[in-house]
Amino acid sequence: MKPPPFEYEAPTTIQEVVALLQQHDGEAKILAGGQSLMPLLNMRFARPTALIDLGRMTDLDYIREENGAIAIGAMTTKRSVERSDLVKSRQPLLHASTTWIAHPQIRNRGTVGGSMAQADPAAEYPAVAVALDAEFVIAGPDGQRSVAASDFFITYLTTALKENEVLTEIRVPVLPERTGWSIQEVARRHGDFAMVGAVAILGLAGGSCESARVVLFGVGATPQRATSVEQALIGQAASEALFATAAEKAAEGLEDTISDVHASAEYRRHLAQVLTRRALAEAAERA
Amino acid sequence: MAVKIPNSIDELPTSSPRFIGHRVKRVEDTGLVTGRTEFIDNVSMTGMLHCAILRSPIAHAKIEKIDVSAALDLPGVVAVVTGEDAAKWSHPAASSPDGWGTYCLPADKVRFVGEPVAAVAATSRYIAEDALELIEIEYEPLDVVSDPVAAMEDGSPLVIEERGSNVMLQRVFNWGDTDAAFAAADHVFSEKFRWNRLGANPIETYGCISEWDPTELGITVRGAFQSPSHMALGRAMTFGLPSNKVRMIAHPHGGSFGGKGGVRGTDVSLLLSRKTGGRPIKWIEDRMEYLAAGGSQAWDRRYEFSIAVTNDGIVTGLKVKLVDDIGANGEGFGAISAAKPLAAFTGPYTIGAAQYDLSLVATNKAPASPYRGMGPPPHNFALEQMMDIAARSLGIDTAEFRRRNFIPKDAFPYIIPSGNEYDSGDYEAVLDKVLALSEYEKLREEQKLAREQGRLVGIGVASAIEPGVFDWNAYAVVGVQGTGVPEGATVSIDILGKVMVRVGFALEGQGQYTLVTQLVADYFGLEMEDVSVTMLDTASAPPAFGPGGSRLGVAITGAVLGACDRIRVKMCKVVAGLMQTEPENIQLMDGVFGIPGVSEAQMPMAQVAGTMLGASHLLPPDVDPRPEATHVWTAAGRTPVDEEGRTKSYLTAAHAVHIVLLEIDPDTGMVEIQKYVLVDDCGTRLNPATVEGQTQGSVAQGIGAALLEEYVYDEDGQLLTSTYMDYLLPTIHDVPALVMGEVVTPSPFSPLGAKGCGEGAIHTTPAAVMCAINDALVPLGTRANEVPAAPNRLWKLIHTARENTSSD
Amino acid sequence: MATMKTVRMKVNGVTHESEVEPRTTLVDFLRGPLALTGTHVGCEHGVCGACTILVDGRTARSCLMLAVQADGAEITTVEGLATPEGLHPIQQAFIEEHGLQCGFCTPGFLMSLVELLSENPDPSDAEIKDVLGGQICRCTGYQSILKSVHSAIAKLRTAGVAAQPPLA
Repeated sequence: MKPPPFEYEAPTTIQEVVALLQQHDGEAKILAGGQSLMPLLNMRFARPTALIDLGRMTDLDYIREENGAIAIGAMTTKRSVERSDLVKSRQPLLHASTTWIAHPQIRNRGTVGGSMAQADPAAEYPAVAVALDAEFVIAGPDGQRSVAASDFFITYLTTALKENEVLTEIRVPVLPERTGWSIQEVARRHGDFAMVGAVAILGLAGGSCESARVVLFGVGATPQRATSVEQALIGQAASEALFATAAEKAAEGLEDTISDVHASAEYRRHLAQVLTRRALAEAAERA
Repeated sequence: MAVKIPNSIDELPTSSPRFIGHRVKRVEDTGLVTGRTEFIDNVSMTGMLHCAILRSPIAHAKIEKIDVSAALDLPGVVAVVTGEDAAKWSHPAASSPDGWGTYCLPADKVRFVGEPVAAVAATSRYIAEDALELIEIEYEPLDVVSDPVAAMEDGSPLVIEERGSNVMLQRVFNWGDTDAAFAAADHVFSEKFRWNRLGANPIETYGCISEWDPTELGITVRGAFQSPSHMALGRAMTFGLPSNKVRMIAHPHGGSFGGKGGVRGTDVSLLLSRKTGGRPIKWIEDRMEYLAAGGSQAWDRRYEFSIAVTNDGIVTGLKVKLVDDIGANGEGFGAISAAKPLAAFTGPYTIGAAQYDLSLVATNKAPASPYRGMGPPPHNFALEQMMDIAARSLGIDTAEFRRRNFIPKDAFPYIIPSGNEYDSGDYEAVLDKVLALSEYEKLREEQKLAREQGRLVGIGVASAIEPGVFDWNAYAVVGVQGTGVPEGATVSIDILGKVMVRVGFALEGQGQYTLVTQLVADYFGLEMEDVSVTMLDTASAPPAFGPGGSRLGVAITGAVLGACDRIRVKMCKVVAGLMQTEPENIQLMDGVFGIPGVSEAQMPMAQVAGTMLGASHLLPPDVDPRPEATHVWTAAGRTPVDEEGRTKSYLTAAHAVHIVLLEIDPDTGMVEIQKYVLVDDCGTRLNPATVEGQTQGSVAQGIGAALLEEYVYDEDGQLLTSTYMDYLLPTIHDVPALVMGEVVTPSPFSPLGAKGCGEGAIHTTPAAVMCAINDALVPLGTRANEVPAAPNRLWKLIHTARENTSSD
Repeated sequence: MATMKTVRMKVNGVTHESEVEPRTTLVDFLRGPLALTGTHVGCEHGVCGACTILVDGRTARSCLMLAVQADGAEITTVEGLATPEGLHPIQQAFIEEHGLQCGFCTPGFLMSLVELLSENPDPSDAEIKDVLGGQICRCTGYQSILKSVHSAIAKLRTAGVAAQPPLA
């Protein structure tokens, strides 16, 4: 389990990163925290000609509030997110979801940008990004562009990032008033990738569901919005009964549900409903 | 004069033992916590090369062609070996039932995913792995058989064509008149069970550094050997060498649990050493190699159990049918793990007649290996489920049902139908204690309330025997050639009275060096610091087998006390000579030799040793002047296998009852263990802290077995759980706090009355957890008969049961 | 072969400078050229935690880092815990409370606890488990490890010292 040979670059500016990506013509890989890429290298499942290590890009390590959003540099570690008072107070869902990710030793090095770009369908961050309508700031040869979370995750381990682009920032809107949130997941062991997870964001006004966002992860190739659930909630009086009925629709519209050694597709579709119900109930309590 | 080995701590030559029986700190630990202990991968040798092994990606295929030329051209690569070299220089593995062994590198075909096909020696592991990618192999895929039931059918693809069948062994053992017991029974209960593959997974994988000596025509291997002498015998057979030309140097290793494996890699690296003219070849098995093809996989079983029961709740007969999927061959001693249940076939119960219909079957999967417990844990799991089924059907509490069937304490020594003898026990005392500790009645009341709320709360009560101190005769039953299992120790005292003990096994984790130190310190009235323990290689160590089959604690106690006694006898002669009396007048007590009651006739042990080594002219003429002795201990009274497979195999029979309270989340199938209480009786506890540690660790592995761990193959024989992302070891979140109690019924047969306890709780834990799960499922009228009880399986059972109820 | 890189890092207070192939993992670099073999390799994919070390005071899997990534870093391994005067209190606690059996995973546990207890001298069981959930021990069943942690907490408190050796 030793990595194959590759060149190593440690640029310090975005311009250098983009130039290196172009120079290696799609054969290079970006190394962020390395917590997903390094196992693949050790197993020789990934075979880049070069690694472009963002570890020296200290200016991509920040968390700050800007224009109603939390802006997080792509090289910010999960540890920093977990411990950020700003995140805890202004976007507690992001904080809570971080504590579900692996273990502290991994969160110390794993980065926000790395998780997003890796786009593992069972990972928490992509689902949270979709649920919160996060915005992805991308640098490339033509400068900077931004992509909505709903357009960022294309399929299993694939994002809207082009071969010569690099993710530089994730902008997560702060949680609006009277809005509750929840993240629920079932994993074989604490810290494992979720078999299924559900994120719910519920806006209540006068006891009625004013807004609803439900995103499931671990079920399909990307985080999936449960739009039928959302529709069943809007305008209705929040109650356990409503959440139960709405959650029954969680498996509707799920495409190509994952089936693996830990969970059959049938089980996953069932868990989607259970976790949606639990997430809605908890979100309503917090709203 | 016969060597005197005390059967009780009271018989030690000390007025009050200061170490034996006490929770002493381990002598092994300072090196381990500082990272200084010399594990094999820490070792480098001059001229050493690194080995990487190319493994089959296909479960069953003919090898049409292997081209290694590009690999040989890579700078840094020194040699490549293939099946051609193995056929030229080695023999098929001798560890299989006769005729079921294969070469370490096959020349003709591959039989499982992960089977080695070629190997490279290079100047670094990185380069060796680069070279593997340059080896070109043409395979012609063959039909795969991954299901043992299908493998038994006519027309199935054959794993080893020459055998003409995939059935390695099929035999029905009959002990007593089982048919009569079933015919006379008021009730017969039958159930099928499935135990999926799991395995040892020590955190250190196997590793070795192998050297072929082209001048002496011998081999030297340094490595992480659980049993160096046994590895040595295997290598001698594989390489056609006299056993005295094989030297194994064991290093401390990071756990084994029976599943250290490493045989193929050792042989492959030896071929590379031979091909490179004798250079040392280091092979460190990586984790993916371990998971796919190391000593990692055990117990892939399909069971049918039946029990015959009277109206009073007495079990009178047991029938077991087992199809054991051994994988591609029996090289990893997987075959013998189906034989070990004979040592405790009927558990702690008085069941008078039993039948074992056993089939060992080859499939295109990794060869099965040993694992802690060596076979009985799945058997116990199934037997304990049957006890519960019967109890519930007869309306008898599950704890009470066991009590009625326990072998009574005055019946020992007790010979069970399958031939083994249990030394001693007080099973009711163990049960009573665990019931009290767990507040069993209260638990049942809490369960009743929970059930009224619709919650799936279950209580498991499981009881099992841990056979201890194995003897190879147990395994002759399945045609695996055996050897004896001696354990020797050399105790050597220097001129200042300090002691060195030389043993033939390496540090593995069970604290055996500490035990040796405790024994000698108490025997001669020394401090622990005055005793040190050294591991010798197979060329110089006293005869030794090492840990395995819950034997080493007892066996090394016998060896050390035997050696101490030999020295005592010698020293008594010396002292008698100096004091001009007869040796029988001299007594050793608290480190002093002398005539009891005569205060001026006393000599501290160090003075005796000093006299022997410094003034041997003062000794009586017939006394050997070395204050040193070796004793080789074997268990007395073992018997050969009779025509029905019966033998007195294991010397001791430890016993335990575990009680588990758990809750299943019906919506997710996730299990939460809320309380875990156990009481065990493993005879005299030589170091209670170590015994506790073995128990706690074994409970954790048992929980892994019951809930998490499983090797999954698809029908093409591809392993789907090839990393630790998918093969799930228990973490600190998965193992509950334990409440533990003890009953001590010393063994009448063993040194100091201790019983084997290293394998421990895994005999009972999977059974107890599964009993609790099935207890929780009672209101739904469904059962979990498959291990592990993974959440998707439990959810499916619950979901189906609810659908059936609602459609009724 | 890929272009060699020069790396310079301070390990247990000693500065090392060396040429490495970029693909060399940090654990192989520590165990090979630096001969610090106390950090063990258990799975090489980040799950078991045997290779956990401190990089700039924070735990990391040294199998999931390249040596080149540690250029300029300060690293502490298990060899950096004891001093010539004696063992680190956490090491002592593990010995006294039987927090190890085969001991292969132990260095990783110790390093994770050094980080935890230097940041949080009085963690709850839940906080301890959160950290140790990332370390696999196959021998002990974790009970005696938990006891060892509690003993270490008390020892550090009594001694009035920080768990983490000061970075140079």
